[in-house]
Amino acid sequence: MQPAPTRSGTGATAAPPAVEVADLRRAYGDFEAVRGVSFEVHPGEVFALLGVNGAGKTSALEVLEGLARPSGGTVRVLGADPVADRARVRPHLGVLLQSSGLPGDLTVAEVVRAWAGTLTAPREPAEALAQVGLTGRADVRVRSLSGGERRRLDLAMALLGRPRVVVLDEPTTGLDPESRRQVWRLVAGLVDDGAAVVLTTHHLEEAEELADRIAVLKAGRVVLAGTQEEIAETQPATIRFTLDPGTPAPPVPDAVEVVEAGPRVDWRTRSLQPVLAELLAWAARHGVVLRALQARAASLEQAFLAVADAD
Amino acid sequence: MTTPTAPAGPSRARRIAALVGAETRLLLRNRTALVNSVALPLLLVAFVPLVGDVGGRGLVGTAVVVTLVFLTYYNLVTTYVARREDLVLQRLRTGELSGPEVLLATAVPTLLVTAGQVVLLAAGIAVLGRWTAPVDVVLPLLAVVLGAALMVVLATASTLFTRTPESAQITTLPVVVGATALSGLFFPLTALPEALATVARLLPLTPVVELLQLGLAGRTWDGAAVAGADLYGAALVPLAVLVAWLLGAGALTARAFRWAPRR
Repeated sequence: MQPAPTRSGTGATAAPPAVEVADLRRAYGDFEAVRGVSFEVHPGEVFALLGVNGAGKTSALEVLEGLARPSGGTVRVLGADPVADRARVRPHLGVLLQSSGLPGDLTVAEVVRAWAGTLTAPREPAEALAQVGLTGRADVRVRSLSGGERRRLDLAMALLGRPRVVVLDEPTTGLDPESRRQVWRLVAGLVDDGAAVVLTTHHLEEAEELADRIAVLKAGRVVLAGTQEEIAETQPATIRFTLDPGTPAPPVPDAVEVVEAGPRVDWRTRSLQPVLAELLAWAARHGVVLRALQARAASLEQAFLAVADAD
Repeated sequence: MTTPTAPAGPSRARRIAALVGAETRLLLRNRTALVNSVALPLLLVAFVPLVGDVGGRGLVGTAVVVTLVFLTYYNLVTTYVARREDLVLQRLRTGELSGPEVLLATAVPTLLVTAGQVVLLAAGIAVLGRWTAPVDVVLPLLAVVLGAALMVVLATASTLFTRTPESAQITTLPVVVGATALSGLFFPLTALPEALATVARLLPLTPVVELLQLGLAGRTWDGAAVAGADLYGAALVPLAVLVAWLLGAGALTARAFRWAPRR
Protein backbone atom coordinates (compact mmCIF):
# COMPACT_ATOMS: atom_id res chain seq x y z
CA MET A 1 0.00 0.00 0.00
CA GLN A 2 1.32 3.40 -0.86
CA PRO A 3 1.72 6.04 1.81
CA ALA A 4 -1.22 8.33 2.36
CA PRO A 5 -0.86 11.72 0.74
CA THR A 6 -0.46 14.26 3.47
CA ARG A 7 -3.17 16.81 2.98
CA SER A 8 -2.44 18.96 5.93
CA GLY A 9 1.31 19.41 5.51
CA THR A 10 3.71 19.02 8.38
CA GLY A 11 4.19 20.61 11.74
CA ALA A 12 1.70 21.47 14.42
CA THR A 13 -1.29 21.59 12.07
CA ALA A 14 -0.77 18.10 10.61
CA ALA A 15 -3.90 16.07 11.27
CA PRO A 16 -3.13 12.54 12.39
CA PRO A 17 -5.14 9.84 10.61
CA ALA A 18 -8.69 9.29 11.81
CA VAL A 19 -8.47 5.64 10.82
CA GLU A 20 -5.29 3.55 10.97
CA VAL A 21 -5.33 -0.05 9.79
CA ALA A 22 -2.08 -2.00 9.98
CA ASP A 23 -1.61 -5.54 8.67
CA LEU A 24 -5.23 -6.41 9.44
CA ARG A 25 -6.10 -10.09 9.30
CA ARG A 26 -9.39 -11.90 9.86
CA ALA A 27 -9.83 -15.64 9.84
CA TYR A 28 -12.95 -17.78 10.02
CA GLY A 29 -11.66 -21.15 11.10
CA ASP A 30 -9.14 -22.20 8.46
CA PHE A 31 -10.28 -19.58 5.97
CA GLU A 32 -8.49 -16.24 6.07
CA ALA A 33 -10.86 -13.61 4.62
CA VAL A 34 -8.55 -10.63 5.23
CA ARG A 35 -4.82 -11.26 4.76
CA GLY A 36 -2.77 -8.29 5.86
CA VAL A 37 -4.53 -5.08 4.82
CA SER A 38 -3.11 -1.67 5.74
CA PHE A 39 -4.43 1.82 5.09
CA GLU A 40 -4.96 5.21 6.68
CA VAL A 41 -7.80 7.67 6.29
CA HIS A 42 -7.42 11.31 7.28
CA PRO A 43 -10.10 13.79 8.34
CA GLY A 44 -11.75 15.30 5.27
CA GLU A 45 -10.86 12.34 3.10
CA VAL A 46 -12.88 9.58 1.40
CA PHE A 47 -11.25 6.18 1.14
CA ALA A 48 -12.93 3.52 -1.02
CA LEU A 49 -12.43 -0.23 -0.77
CA LEU A 50 -13.23 -1.94 -4.05
CA GLY A 51 -13.37 -5.61 -4.82
CA VAL A 52 -15.57 -8.35 -6.15
CA ASN A 53 -17.91 -10.16 -3.76
CA GLY A 54 -15.97 -12.21 -1.24
CA ALA A 55 -12.85 -10.07 -1.54
CA GLY A 56 -12.97 -9.36 2.22
CA LYS A 57 -14.34 -5.80 2.19
CA THR A 58 -17.13 -6.35 4.73
CA SER A 59 -14.91 -8.55 6.92
CA ALA A 60 -12.36 -5.74 7.07
CA LEU A 61 -14.99 -3.07 7.80
CA GLU A 62 -16.50 -5.10 10.65
CA VAL A 63 -13.25 -4.64 12.54
CA LEU A 64 -13.33 -0.86 11.99
CA GLU A 65 -16.94 -0.87 13.16
CA GLY A 66 -15.94 -2.65 16.37
CA LEU A 67 -18.25 -5.56 15.56
CA ALA A 68 -15.43 -8.08 15.30
CA ARG A 69 -11.92 -8.51 16.63
CA PRO A 70 -9.10 -8.98 14.14
CA SER A 71 -7.19 -12.25 14.18
CA GLY A 72 -4.05 -10.21 13.50
CA GLY A 73 -2.85 -6.63 13.07
CA THR A 74 -4.24 -3.47 14.60
CA VAL A 75 -7.06 -1.03 13.89
CA ARG A 76 -7.29 2.42 15.46
CA VAL A 77 -10.24 4.76 15.05
CA LEU A 78 -9.50 8.28 16.33
CA GLY A 79 -6.48 6.71 18.00
CA ALA A 80 -8.47 4.16 19.97
CA ASP A 81 -9.29 0.46 19.64
CA PRO A 82 -12.90 0.21 18.38
CA VAL A 83 -13.59 -2.90 20.49
CA ALA A 84 -11.63 -2.26 23.71
CA ASP A 85 -12.35 1.50 23.78
CA ARG A 86 -15.86 1.11 22.39
CA ALA A 87 -17.44 3.65 24.74
CA ARG A 88 -15.00 6.36 23.65
CA VAL A 89 -15.06 5.58 19.91
CA ARG A 90 -18.81 5.01 19.44
CA PRO A 91 -20.08 8.57 19.89
CA HIS A 92 -17.87 9.66 16.97
CA LEU A 93 -18.45 6.71 14.67
CA GLY A 94 -21.30 6.44 12.14
CA VAL A 95 -21.86 3.01 10.63
CA LEU A 96 -23.98 1.97 7.68
CA LEU A 97 -24.02 -1.83 7.49
CA GLN A 98 -24.46 -3.62 4.19
CA SER A 99 -27.78 -4.82 5.53
CA SER A 100 -29.42 -4.30 8.87
CA GLY A 101 -32.90 -4.57 10.25
CA LEU A 102 -35.48 -2.27 11.68
CA PRO A 103 -38.70 -3.22 13.44
CA GLY A 104 -41.29 -3.02 10.66
CA ASP A 105 -44.16 -1.95 12.92
CA LEU A 106 -42.58 1.38 13.91
CA THR A 107 -42.87 4.51 11.79
CA VAL A 108 -39.89 6.25 10.24
CA ALA A 109 -40.13 9.13 12.73
CA GLU A 110 -40.43 6.75 15.72
CA VAL A 111 -37.37 4.80 14.66
CA VAL A 112 -35.27 7.93 14.19
CA ARG A 113 -36.42 9.49 17.47
CA ALA A 114 -35.66 6.31 19.41
CA TRP A 115 -32.21 6.09 17.83
CA ALA A 116 -31.55 9.76 18.57
CA GLY A 117 -32.48 9.08 22.19
CA THR A 118 -29.59 6.62 22.48
CA LEU A 119 -26.97 9.02 21.07
CA THR A 120 -24.73 11.55 22.81
CA ALA A 121 -25.12 14.50 20.44
CA PRO A 122 -27.83 13.70 17.91
CA ARG A 123 -28.93 15.84 14.99
CA GLU A 124 -32.57 16.96 14.91
CA PRO A 125 -34.54 13.92 13.66
CA ALA A 126 -36.55 16.12 11.27
CA GLU A 127 -33.37 17.60 9.83
CA ALA A 128 -31.85 14.12 9.42
CA LEU A 129 -34.93 12.92 7.52
CA ALA A 130 -34.93 16.02 5.32
CA GLN A 131 -31.29 15.35 4.39
CA VAL A 132 -32.19 11.99 2.89
CA GLY A 133 -35.48 13.17 1.37
CA LEU A 134 -37.75 11.21 3.73
CA THR A 135 -39.63 14.13 5.30
CA GLY A 136 -42.87 13.15 3.56
CA ARG A 137 -42.54 9.55 4.76
CA ALA A 138 -42.05 10.29 8.48
CA ASP A 139 -45.38 8.75 9.53
CA VAL A 140 -45.11 5.67 7.33
CA ARG A 141 -44.35 2.33 8.94
CA VAL A 142 -40.89 1.01 8.13
CA ARG A 143 -42.51 -2.16 6.73
CA SER A 144 -44.13 -0.11 3.94
CA LEU A 145 -40.97 1.63 2.72
CA SER A 146 -39.40 0.77 -0.64
CA GLY A 147 -35.89 -0.71 -0.68
CA GLY A 148 -34.39 2.63 -1.64
CA GLU A 149 -36.28 4.45 1.11
CA ARG A 150 -35.06 1.86 3.65
CA ARG A 151 -31.50 2.46 2.52
CA ARG A 152 -31.86 6.22 2.91
CA LEU A 153 -33.35 5.71 6.39
CA ASP A 154 -30.33 3.51 7.24
CA LEU A 155 -28.09 6.33 6.11
CA ALA A 156 -29.99 8.97 8.11
CA MET A 157 -29.51 6.81 11.24
CA ALA A 158 -25.82 6.25 10.53
CA LEU A 159 -25.28 10.02 10.32
CA LEU A 160 -27.62 10.97 13.17
CA GLY A 161 -24.88 11.24 15.78
CA ARG A 162 -22.77 13.79 13.81
CA PRO A 163 -19.93 11.26 13.38
CA ARG A 164 -16.29 12.25 12.75
CA VAL A 165 -15.58 8.86 11.22
CA VAL A 166 -18.14 7.34 8.85
CA VAL A 167 -18.06 3.74 7.62
CA LEU A 168 -20.41 3.03 4.71
CA ASP A 169 -20.72 -0.54 3.42
CA GLU A 170 -22.21 -0.31 -0.07
CA PRO A 171 -24.17 2.87 0.66
CA THR A 172 -25.98 3.12 -2.68
CA THR A 173 -26.72 -0.50 -3.54
CA GLY A 174 -30.37 -0.71 -4.56
CA LEU A 175 -30.80 3.04 -5.00
CA ASP A 176 -32.13 4.71 -8.13
CA PRO A 177 -29.78 7.16 -9.90
CA GLU A 178 -31.42 10.23 -8.35
CA SER A 179 -31.15 8.85 -4.79
CA ARG A 180 -27.60 7.80 -5.49
CA ARG A 181 -26.67 11.37 -6.39
CA GLN A 182 -28.39 12.56 -3.23
CA VAL A 183 -26.22 10.18 -1.19
CA TRP A 184 -23.11 11.38 -3.01
CA ARG A 185 -23.95 14.98 -2.14
CA LEU A 186 -24.45 13.95 1.50
CA VAL A 187 -21.06 12.22 1.61
CA ALA A 188 -19.39 15.23 -0.02
CA GLY A 189 -20.98 17.42 2.64
CA LEU A 190 -19.65 15.17 5.42
CA VAL A 191 -16.15 15.44 4.04
CA ASP A 192 -16.39 19.22 3.74
CA ASP A 193 -17.24 19.23 7.44
CA GLY A 194 -14.05 17.30 8.14
CA ALA A 195 -15.32 13.75 8.55
CA ALA A 196 -13.19 10.80 7.50
CA VAL A 197 -15.18 8.42 5.30
CA VAL A 198 -14.45 4.77 4.50
CA LEU A 199 -16.76 3.16 1.99
CA THR A 200 -17.08 0.02 -0.07
CA THR A 201 -18.82 -0.07 -3.38
CA HIS A 202 -19.46 -2.17 -6.45
CA HIS A 203 -19.96 0.91 -8.58
CA LEU A 204 -16.68 2.14 -9.98
CA GLU A 205 -18.27 5.43 -10.95
CA GLU A 206 -19.14 5.91 -7.27
CA ALA A 207 -15.49 5.49 -6.30
CA GLU A 208 -14.51 7.86 -9.13
CA GLU A 209 -17.03 10.43 -7.96
CA LEU A 210 -16.28 10.28 -4.24
CA ALA A 211 -12.97 8.71 -3.36
CA ASP A 212 -9.72 10.58 -2.79
CA ARG A 213 -7.91 7.27 -2.53
CA ILE A 214 -8.86 3.73 -3.45
CA ALA A 215 -7.69 0.26 -2.53
CA VAL A 216 -8.70 -2.74 -4.60
CA LEU A 217 -9.04 -5.90 -2.53
CA LYS A 218 -8.77 -9.35 -3.95
CA ALA A 219 -8.92 -12.54 -1.88
CA GLY A 220 -8.22 -10.54 1.27
CA ARG A 221 -5.20 -8.64 -0.03
CA VAL A 222 -4.73 -5.11 -1.41
CA VAL A 223 -3.72 -5.63 -5.03
CA LEU A 224 -3.91 -1.98 -6.13
CA ALA A 225 -3.91 1.21 -4.12
CA GLY A 226 -3.57 4.93 -4.64
CA THR A 227 -5.45 7.79 -6.20
CA GLN A 228 -7.69 7.09 -9.19
CA GLU A 229 -4.98 8.40 -11.50
CA GLU A 230 -2.30 6.24 -9.92
CA ILE A 231 -4.47 3.17 -10.22
CA ALA A 232 -5.50 3.92 -13.79
CA GLU A 233 -1.84 4.41 -14.75
CA THR A 234 -1.14 0.77 -13.96
CA GLN A 235 -2.91 -0.01 -17.25
CA PRO A 236 -1.87 1.17 -20.74
CA ALA A 237 -3.67 3.98 -22.53
CA THR A 238 -5.70 3.38 -25.68
CA ILE A 239 -5.40 5.04 -29.12
CA ARG A 240 -8.05 4.25 -31.74
CA PHE A 241 -8.69 5.56 -35.24
CA THR A 242 -9.97 4.39 -38.61
CA LEU A 243 -8.04 4.67 -41.87
CA ASP A 244 -9.73 5.34 -45.21
CA PRO A 245 -9.28 2.57 -47.82
CA GLY A 246 -6.02 2.93 -49.72
CA THR A 247 -4.35 4.98 -47.02
CA PRO A 248 -0.88 3.71 -46.01
CA ALA A 249 -0.67 2.37 -42.47
CA PRO A 250 1.33 4.50 -40.02
CA PRO A 251 4.60 3.12 -38.66
CA VAL A 252 4.11 1.48 -35.28
CA PRO A 253 6.19 3.14 -32.54
CA ASP A 254 8.19 0.92 -30.19
CA ALA A 255 6.05 1.73 -27.18
CA VAL A 256 2.87 0.42 -28.81
CA GLU A 257 1.17 -2.91 -28.52
CA VAL A 258 -1.09 -3.45 -31.54
CA VAL A 259 -4.51 -4.88 -30.80
CA GLU A 260 -5.93 -4.24 -34.28
CA ALA A 261 -3.82 -3.14 -37.25
CA GLY A 262 -6.45 -1.74 -39.62
CA PRO A 263 -8.51 -0.41 -41.20
CA ARG A 264 -9.77 0.16 -37.65
CA VAL A 265 -6.63 0.63 -35.63
CA ASP A 266 -6.45 -0.11 -31.91
CA TRP A 267 -3.20 0.52 -30.00
CA ARG A 268 -2.18 0.21 -26.36
CA THR A 269 0.69 2.25 -24.96
CA ARG A 270 2.18 3.38 -21.69
CA SER A 271 3.59 6.55 -23.33
CA LEU A 272 0.42 8.13 -24.60
CA GLN A 273 1.69 11.64 -25.21
CA PRO A 274 4.87 10.91 -27.27
CA VAL A 275 3.14 8.13 -29.26
CA LEU A 276 0.22 10.40 -30.05
CA ALA A 277 2.55 13.25 -31.05
CA GLU A 278 4.44 10.89 -33.37
CA LEU A 279 1.19 9.65 -34.91
CA LEU A 280 -0.20 13.14 -35.49
CA ALA A 281 3.08 14.34 -36.98
CA TRP A 282 3.07 11.35 -39.37
CA ALA A 283 -0.56 12.06 -40.36
CA ALA A 284 0.20 15.73 -41.01
CA ARG A 285 3.25 14.91 -43.08
CA HIS A 286 1.36 12.45 -45.27
CA GLY A 287 -1.95 14.29 -45.33
CA VAL A 288 -3.73 11.29 -43.79
CA VAL A 289 -7.06 11.71 -42.06
CA LEU A 290 -7.39 9.69 -38.83
CA ARG A 291 -11.13 9.20 -38.64
CA ALA A 292 -12.86 8.84 -35.23
CA LEU A 293 -9.56 9.44 -33.48
CA GLN A 294 -9.63 8.66 -29.77
CA ALA A 295 -6.79 8.83 -27.28
CA ARG A 296 -7.62 7.87 -23.73
CA ALA A 297 -5.76 7.18 -20.52
CA ALA A 298 -6.80 3.92 -18.86
CA SER A 299 -9.85 4.16 -16.67
CA LEU A 300 -10.26 2.95 -13.09
CA GLU A 301 -12.64 0.35 -14.50
CA GLN A 302 -9.99 -1.06 -16.85
CA ALA A 303 -7.51 -1.30 -14.00
CA PHE A 304 -10.10 -2.88 -11.74
CA LEU A 305 -11.17 -5.44 -14.32
CA ALA A 306 -7.55 -6.27 -15.13
CA VAL A 307 -6.82 -7.26 -11.52
CA ALA A 308 -10.25 -8.77 -10.90
CA ASP A 309 -9.87 -11.07 -13.91
CA ALA A 310 -6.25 -12.00 -13.30
CA ASP A 311 -5.57 -15.23 -11.45
CA MET B 1 -5.61 12.68 16.87
CA THR B 2 -5.88 12.51 20.62
CA THR B 3 -8.19 9.81 21.84
CA PRO B 4 -11.57 11.42 22.25
CA THR B 5 -13.17 11.43 25.62
CA ALA B 6 -16.83 10.50 25.65
CA PRO B 7 -18.68 13.80 25.82
CA ALA B 8 -21.41 14.07 28.38
CA GLY B 9 -24.61 12.92 26.74
CA PRO B 10 -27.93 11.76 28.07
CA SER B 11 -27.64 9.52 31.11
CA ARG B 12 -27.37 5.79 30.68
CA ALA B 13 -30.91 5.35 32.03
CA ARG B 14 -32.34 7.82 29.50
CA ARG B 15 -30.56 6.11 26.64
CA ILE B 16 -31.93 2.73 27.66
CA ALA B 17 -35.36 4.33 28.10
CA ALA B 18 -35.30 5.53 24.48
CA LEU B 19 -34.98 1.94 23.29
CA VAL B 20 -37.45 0.62 25.88
CA GLY B 21 -40.00 3.12 24.54
CA ALA B 22 -39.62 1.78 21.01
CA GLU B 23 -39.80 -1.83 22.20
CA THR B 24 -42.92 -1.12 24.25
CA ARG B 25 -44.59 0.50 21.25
CA LEU B 26 -43.80 -2.60 19.24
CA LEU B 27 -45.35 -4.83 21.88
CA LEU B 28 -48.50 -2.68 22.00
CA ARG B 29 -48.80 -2.99 18.21
CA ASN B 30 -48.45 -6.78 18.33
CA ARG B 31 -52.03 -7.97 18.99
CA THR B 32 -51.13 -11.63 19.48
CA ALA B 33 -48.55 -10.83 22.12
CA LEU B 34 -50.94 -8.44 23.85
CA VAL B 35 -53.80 -10.93 23.96
CA ASN B 36 -51.46 -13.62 25.28
CA SER B 37 -50.19 -11.28 27.97
CA VAL B 38 -53.67 -10.69 29.33
CA ALA B 39 -55.27 -14.05 28.55
CA LEU B 40 -52.67 -16.24 30.27
CA PRO B 41 -53.12 -14.87 33.81
CA LEU B 42 -56.91 -14.72 33.40
CA LEU B 43 -56.86 -18.36 32.35
CA LEU B 44 -54.72 -19.27 35.35
CA VAL B 45 -57.07 -17.44 37.71
CA ALA B 46 -60.01 -19.25 36.12
CA PHE B 47 -58.42 -22.54 37.15
CA VAL B 48 -58.14 -21.48 40.78
CA PRO B 49 -61.63 -22.69 41.84
CA LEU B 50 -60.88 -26.05 40.22
CA VAL B 51 -57.78 -26.61 42.30
CA GLY B 52 -59.09 -27.73 45.63
CA ASP B 53 -56.68 -28.04 48.49
CA VAL B 54 -53.53 -26.32 47.25
CA GLY B 55 -54.44 -23.12 49.00
CA GLY B 56 -53.83 -19.53 47.98
CA ARG B 57 -50.11 -19.60 48.81
CA GLY B 58 -49.50 -22.57 46.53
CA LEU B 59 -51.50 -20.93 43.79
CA VAL B 60 -49.47 -17.73 43.89
CA GLY B 61 -46.23 -19.71 43.83
CA THR B 62 -47.38 -21.83 40.91
CA ALA B 63 -48.61 -18.78 39.03
CA VAL B 64 -45.31 -16.94 39.50
CA VAL B 65 -43.23 -19.85 38.20
CA VAL B 66 -45.57 -20.57 35.29
CA THR B 67 -45.47 -16.89 34.31
CA LEU B 68 -41.69 -16.72 34.57
CA VAL B 69 -41.18 -19.79 32.40
CA PHE B 70 -43.94 -19.58 29.81
CA LEU B 71 -44.13 -15.83 29.47
CA THR B 72 -40.79 -14.31 30.47
CA TYR B 73 -38.35 -16.99 29.38
CA TYR B 74 -40.13 -18.23 26.26
CA ASN B 75 -41.04 -14.74 25.04
CA LEU B 76 -37.51 -13.48 25.52
CA VAL B 77 -35.91 -16.39 23.65
CA THR B 78 -38.18 -15.81 20.64
CA THR B 79 -37.75 -12.02 20.84
CA TYR B 80 -33.95 -12.12 21.01
CA VAL B 81 -33.71 -14.69 18.21
CA ALA B 82 -36.18 -12.77 16.01
CA ARG B 83 -34.27 -9.52 16.55
CA ARG B 84 -31.01 -11.25 15.75
CA GLU B 85 -32.31 -12.92 12.58
CA ASP B 86 -33.94 -9.63 11.45
CA LEU B 87 -30.52 -7.94 11.83
CA VAL B 88 -31.98 -5.52 14.38
CA LEU B 89 -29.46 -6.49 17.08
CA GLN B 90 -26.56 -6.02 14.68
CA ARG B 91 -27.74 -2.49 13.92
CA LEU B 92 -28.13 -1.69 17.62
CA ARG B 93 -24.53 -2.87 18.09
CA THR B 94 -23.40 -0.08 15.75
CA GLY B 95 -24.90 2.51 18.11
CA GLU B 96 -23.77 3.86 21.43
CA LEU B 97 -25.66 1.48 23.72
CA SER B 98 -23.49 -1.30 25.13
CA GLY B 99 -24.37 -4.95 24.54
CA PRO B 100 -25.87 -5.52 28.01
CA GLU B 101 -27.88 -2.29 27.64
CA VAL B 102 -29.36 -3.48 24.35
CA LEU B 103 -30.29 -6.86 25.84
CA LEU B 104 -31.80 -5.26 28.93
CA ALA B 105 -33.82 -2.69 26.96
CA THR B 106 -35.19 -5.46 24.75
CA ALA B 107 -36.25 -7.42 27.83
CA VAL B 108 -37.93 -4.58 29.73
CA PRO B 109 -41.41 -4.71 28.09
CA THR B 110 -41.59 -8.46 28.75
CA LEU B 111 -40.45 -7.91 32.34
CA LEU B 112 -43.12 -5.24 32.82
CA VAL B 113 -45.78 -7.60 31.51
CA THR B 114 -44.44 -10.28 33.87
CA ALA B 115 -44.76 -7.95 36.84
CA GLY B 116 -48.26 -6.93 35.73
CA GLN B 117 -49.31 -10.56 35.45
CA VAL B 118 -48.01 -11.50 38.88
CA VAL B 119 -49.96 -8.58 40.40
CA LEU B 120 -53.06 -9.47 38.36
CA LEU B 121 -52.87 -13.08 39.50
CA ALA B 122 -52.45 -12.19 43.14
CA ALA B 123 -55.40 -9.80 42.83
CA GLY B 124 -57.51 -12.48 41.12
CA ILE B 125 -56.73 -14.98 43.85
CA ALA B 126 -57.58 -12.38 46.50
CA VAL B 127 -60.88 -11.58 44.76
CA LEU B 128 -61.75 -15.27 44.81
CA GLY B 129 -61.13 -15.26 48.56
CA ARG B 130 -58.16 -17.62 48.39
CA TRP B 131 -55.49 -15.18 49.52
CA THR B 132 -53.40 -16.03 52.59
CA ALA B 133 -50.79 -13.60 53.89
CA PRO B 134 -47.23 -14.81 53.27
CA VAL B 135 -44.94 -15.77 56.15
CA ASP B 136 -42.20 -13.48 54.82
CA VAL B 137 -42.15 -10.76 52.15
CA VAL B 138 -38.45 -10.56 51.34
CA LEU B 139 -37.99 -14.13 50.12
CA PRO B 140 -40.89 -14.14 47.63
CA LEU B 141 -39.74 -10.77 46.28
CA LEU B 142 -36.22 -12.11 45.92
CA ALA B 143 -37.62 -15.17 44.17
CA VAL B 144 -39.53 -13.00 41.66
CA VAL B 145 -36.73 -10.50 41.03
CA LEU B 146 -33.86 -13.00 40.85
CA GLY B 147 -36.12 -15.44 39.01
CA ALA B 148 -36.91 -12.81 36.37
CA ALA B 149 -33.22 -11.95 36.04
CA LEU B 150 -32.47 -15.65 35.63
CA MET B 151 -35.08 -15.92 32.87
CA VAL B 152 -33.33 -13.09 30.99
CA VAL B 153 -29.87 -14.70 31.11
CA LEU B 154 -31.26 -18.19 30.44
CA ALA B 155 -33.00 -16.67 27.40
CA THR B 156 -29.85 -14.95 26.12
CA ALA B 157 -27.90 -18.19 26.68
CA SER B 158 -30.62 -20.20 24.90
CA THR B 159 -30.25 -18.06 21.76
CA LEU B 160 -26.83 -19.69 21.31
CA PHE B 161 -28.51 -22.91 20.15
CA THR B 162 -31.73 -21.44 18.69
CA ARG B 163 -31.51 -20.68 14.97
CA THR B 164 -35.03 -19.31 14.37
CA PRO B 165 -37.91 -18.03 16.51
CA GLU B 166 -39.87 -21.16 15.51
CA SER B 167 -37.14 -23.54 16.68
CA ALA B 168 -37.46 -21.95 20.13
CA GLN B 169 -40.42 -24.33 20.60
CA ILE B 170 -37.86 -27.14 20.74
CA THR B 171 -34.82 -25.45 22.24
CA THR B 172 -36.74 -24.10 25.23
CA LEU B 173 -38.02 -27.57 26.21
CA PRO B 174 -35.17 -28.35 28.64
CA VAL B 175 -36.20 -25.36 30.75
CA VAL B 176 -39.93 -25.27 30.00
CA VAL B 177 -40.50 -28.99 30.54
CA GLY B 178 -37.41 -30.43 32.23
CA ALA B 179 -36.47 -27.84 34.80
CA THR B 180 -40.12 -26.96 35.51
CA ALA B 181 -41.21 -30.58 36.06
CA LEU B 182 -38.32 -31.19 38.47
CA SER B 183 -38.67 -27.87 40.29
CA GLY B 184 -40.83 -29.22 43.11
CA LEU B 185 -43.75 -27.22 41.79
CA PHE B 186 -45.95 -30.09 40.68
CA PHE B 187 -44.81 -32.78 43.13
CA PRO B 188 -42.56 -32.62 46.19
CA LEU B 189 -38.95 -33.52 45.46
CA THR B 190 -39.02 -35.88 48.47
CA ALA B 191 -40.95 -38.26 46.20
CA LEU B 192 -37.71 -38.74 44.23
CA PRO B 193 -34.76 -40.97 45.22
CA GLU B 194 -32.34 -38.92 47.31
CA ALA B 195 -29.64 -38.61 44.65
CA LEU B 196 -32.14 -37.47 42.05
CA ALA B 197 -33.71 -35.01 44.48
CA THR B 198 -30.27 -33.48 45.07
CA VAL B 199 -29.76 -33.11 41.34
CA ALA B 200 -33.25 -31.60 40.97
CA ARG B 201 -32.41 -29.01 43.64
CA LEU B 202 -29.52 -27.85 41.48
CA LEU B 203 -31.73 -27.17 38.44
CA PRO B 204 -32.40 -23.49 37.65
CA LEU B 205 -36.10 -23.27 38.61
CA THR B 206 -35.98 -25.30 41.81
CA PRO B 207 -34.41 -22.50 43.89
CA VAL B 208 -37.11 -20.11 42.69
CA VAL B 209 -39.81 -22.55 43.84
CA GLU B 210 -37.98 -23.20 47.13
CA LEU B 211 -37.67 -19.48 47.91
CA LEU B 212 -41.35 -18.95 47.09
CA GLN B 213 -42.46 -21.84 49.31
CA LEU B 214 -40.19 -20.67 52.13
CA GLY B 215 -41.46 -17.12 51.96
CA LEU B 216 -45.11 -17.76 51.25
CA ALA B 217 -45.73 -20.83 53.43
CA GLY B 218 -42.62 -21.20 55.61
CA ARG B 219 -41.95 -24.69 54.28
CA THR B 220 -38.61 -26.08 53.15
CA TRP B 221 -38.22 -28.22 50.03
CA ASP B 222 -38.71 -31.41 52.08
CA GLY B 223 -41.84 -30.13 53.79
CA ALA B 224 -40.38 -29.07 57.15
CA ALA B 225 -41.94 -25.97 58.70
CA VAL B 226 -39.45 -23.21 59.55
CA ALA B 227 -39.78 -19.71 60.95
CA GLY B 228 -37.71 -16.71 61.98
CA ALA B 229 -33.95 -16.92 61.46
CA ASP B 230 -34.25 -20.55 60.31
CA LEU B 231 -36.25 -19.29 57.35
CA TYR B 232 -33.26 -17.35 56.08
CA GLY B 233 -30.89 -20.15 56.96
CA ALA B 234 -32.95 -22.50 54.81
CA ALA B 235 -32.90 -19.92 52.02
CA LEU B 236 -29.10 -19.92 51.71
CA VAL B 237 -28.79 -23.05 49.57
CA PRO B 238 -31.48 -22.07 46.99
CA LEU B 239 -30.08 -18.51 46.88
CA ALA B 240 -26.61 -19.89 46.20
CA VAL B 241 -27.91 -22.18 43.45
CA LEU B 242 -29.87 -19.31 41.89
CA VAL B 243 -26.89 -16.95 41.94
CA ALA B 244 -24.67 -19.68 40.47
CA TRP B 245 -27.10 -20.11 37.56
CA LEU B 246 -27.26 -16.33 37.07
CA LEU B 247 -23.47 -16.05 36.94
CA GLY B 248 -23.08 -19.14 34.76
CA ALA B 249 -25.67 -18.17 32.16
CA GLY B 250 -24.47 -14.56 32.30
CA ALA B 251 -20.85 -15.59 31.70
CA LEU B 252 -21.87 -17.87 28.82
CA THR B 253 -23.84 -14.98 27.27
CA ALA B 254 -20.94 -12.54 27.69
CA ARG B 255 -18.58 -15.02 26.03
CA ALA B 256 -20.61 -16.41 23.18
CA PHE B 257 -23.74 -14.33 22.46
CA ARG B 258 -24.19 -13.88 18.71
CA TRP B 259 -25.47 -10.50 17.53
CA ALA B 260 -25.85 -11.51 13.90
CA PRO B 261 -27.21 -14.61 12.15
CA ARG B 262 -24.77 -17.34 11.20
CA ARG B 263 -23.69 -16.97 7.62
